[in-house]
Amino acid sequence: MNNDLPDWLNPAPWLSRTFSAADVQHAIGTEAPDEETLAALLSPAAEEFLESMAARAQALTQRHFGRIIQLYVPLYLSSWCSGGCAYCGFAADRHTDRHALDFAGVEKELSAIKTMGFEEILLLTGERSSEADLDYLRECIRLAAQKFHNVAIEVFPMATEEYRSLAEAGCTGVTLYQETFHPETYDVMHRWGPKKDFFNRLDAPARALAGGMRFAGLGALLGLSDPRFDMLALYRHARHLQKSFWQSGLTISFPRIRNEAGGFIAPHPVDEKLLAQIILAFRICLPNVPLTLSTRESAAFRDGIAGIGISKMSIASKTTVGGYGDTGSEDLSRRSGAKAEAQFDVSDDRGLDEFCARLHSKDLEPVFKNWDGIYRLTA
Amino acid sequence: MNLETRNLKLGGHEFKSRLILGTGKFSNTATMIAAIEASGTELVTVALRRFNRDKPSDDLCAPLAKLKGVKLMPNTSGAMNAKEAVRAAQLGRELSGSPFVKVEIHPNPHHLMPDAIETYLAAKELAADGFIVLPYIPADPVLAKKLEDVGCAAVMPLGAAIGSGGGLSTADMIQLILRDSNIPVIVDAGLRAPSEAARAMEMGCDAVLVNSAIAAARDPAAMARAFALGVETGYAARQAGLMPKSELAIATSPLTSFLS
Repeated sequence: MNNDLPDWLNPAPWLSRTFSAADVQHAIGTEAPDEETLAALLSPAAEEFLESMAARAQALTQRHFGRIIQLYVPLYLSSWCSGGCAYCGFAADRHTDRHALDFAGVEKELSAIKTMGFEEILLLTGERSSEADLDYLRECIRLAAQKFHNVAIEVFPMATEEYRSLAEAGCTGVTLYQETFHPETYDVMHRWGPKKDFFNRLDAPARALAGGMRFAGLGALLGLSDPRFDMLALYRHARHLQKSFWQSGLTISFPRIRNEAGGFIAPHPVDEKLLAQIILAFRICLPNVPLTLSTRESAAFRDGIAGIGISKMSIASKTTVGGYGDTGSEDLSRRSGAKAEAQFDVSDDRGLDEFCARLHSKDLEPVFKNWDGIYRLTA
Repeated sequence: MNLETRNLKLGGHEFKSRLILGTGKFSNTATMIAAIEASGTELVTVALRRFNRDKPSDDLCAPLAKLKGVKLMPNTSGAMNAKEAVRAAQLGRELSGSPFVKVEIHPNPHHLMPDAIETYLAAKELAADGFIVLPYIPADPVLAKKLEDVGCAAVMPLGAAIGSGGGLSTADMIQLILRDSNIPVIVDAGLRAPSEAARAMEMGCDAVLVNSAIAAARDPAAMARAFALGVETGYAARQAGLMPKSELAIATSPLTSFLS
């Protein structure tokens, strides 16, 4: 494979630059952020300025999003996977119980989630499999769109026409993390299968938007490669899509790799301080893009960064297949003897009411519905 | 501007207050209501996307509908084109019972600048359908006249980008809109400080619409009151007749006194 990144994506020139404290201060105050701003704010020199970055980020978050946090919830449809990600406990060669919800099961899960009050749902599968293929996904989307205003997917890359058929079924957004923008690392981490194709995955958000999706969610799995390289490339990818699809919305997420089943150890671990620096830097450089944080992170970290850099969060997440319909308020994913294994353990395992009360105490309004199904392609 | 009455007239409805409030971005419903009450506004706009019939605690429509003396104006924020905006307006009317609609079409989610072409198409269709249409527009004097011609009740040019606090950066263009408009001109978006609202009113605007500057203030209710005072002050100054500006000093002993 040709491992050369295209010029529009390759962040390498920035990595050899050193930044001074004055560069960082200038970057924090700028009203015209660009990738030099981001490079400065991600640099080691910015570590001393986290408090100033947080103040600036909070002001920008309030300017563009107000004092609200948009809520969504993930639904794991299937744990079948054809992929071979070295860092994932669900990789096809790993022994694990696998499940896919049948349509009755999907409806039961959707009803349970709807009762909780959510209006935005993210449907997840592994890499394309016969148990969870395009037709299966389309039907799941159709069912979800009957109940939820906003239905997004985090699944496998597909062709433009496939995305279009899902948009017509009621899907509004596609989240697809590149995992790492570093081609050599990507090649090592993805041991076989369609996911080995770096560029097919890289172009998938553009195909999704071309196929009629309204939103694309981007991200890299922090920990796989040099985080500064990955974050600068992520920014470049986002700007490229903004220029190509000016009517589409982007969201950016900051998943950190944890030590998953299979004993994977992250080669470039990212601690909470660096994670915060990254989130604040993105808020300053992309002030009007929703930034998302999942329940992988701890309650304390999430509470702290909510409304400062992050504007959209999941909560009450079950990362097992069939986690909502079968249980009461208990978190199935943490219970031993659970029906299915979780892809990863949630770190913030608070219930919805507890989390909303915490947001209110921070003068932030949890918002469940911030879009309307009437704007769908087929409405 | 109509100097004969102190009331703002929109589609046959009269309003004593010339301050319209947006309802997004507040930290909770109680804070929003307190700000609305402190502002003395009689017209608030609410996005259809924030109507939630399934979850009362997440719904902005019902608590606003309960307010006495305050009319509701659904807006189409989230619509990408005229077709979507028309659909949203119709649903908004059905759910709220309000004849007012703020047409808001900003297809680029990153800067939220209004789409003049789609806004015109939607406004034309909705006005013909009996809505009281208030379109949110770029500060474009030609577009403003065309919207007047298709039956809009007012035009709402932006002062600066939504949420930006950029103030009246389009003041020169708004002045051109004011010069020829036969319908109310309402500055919508961009205002940060009550002094800017006062300036808009001094220029001759009929009302202002404010959201972020109030919702993001440390004390939203107090800021809402401050904006109400700013609007009143500016309007009173306009009514009182501002002294004309002159580049030149006017000497108290004119050089031409010898001519008399």
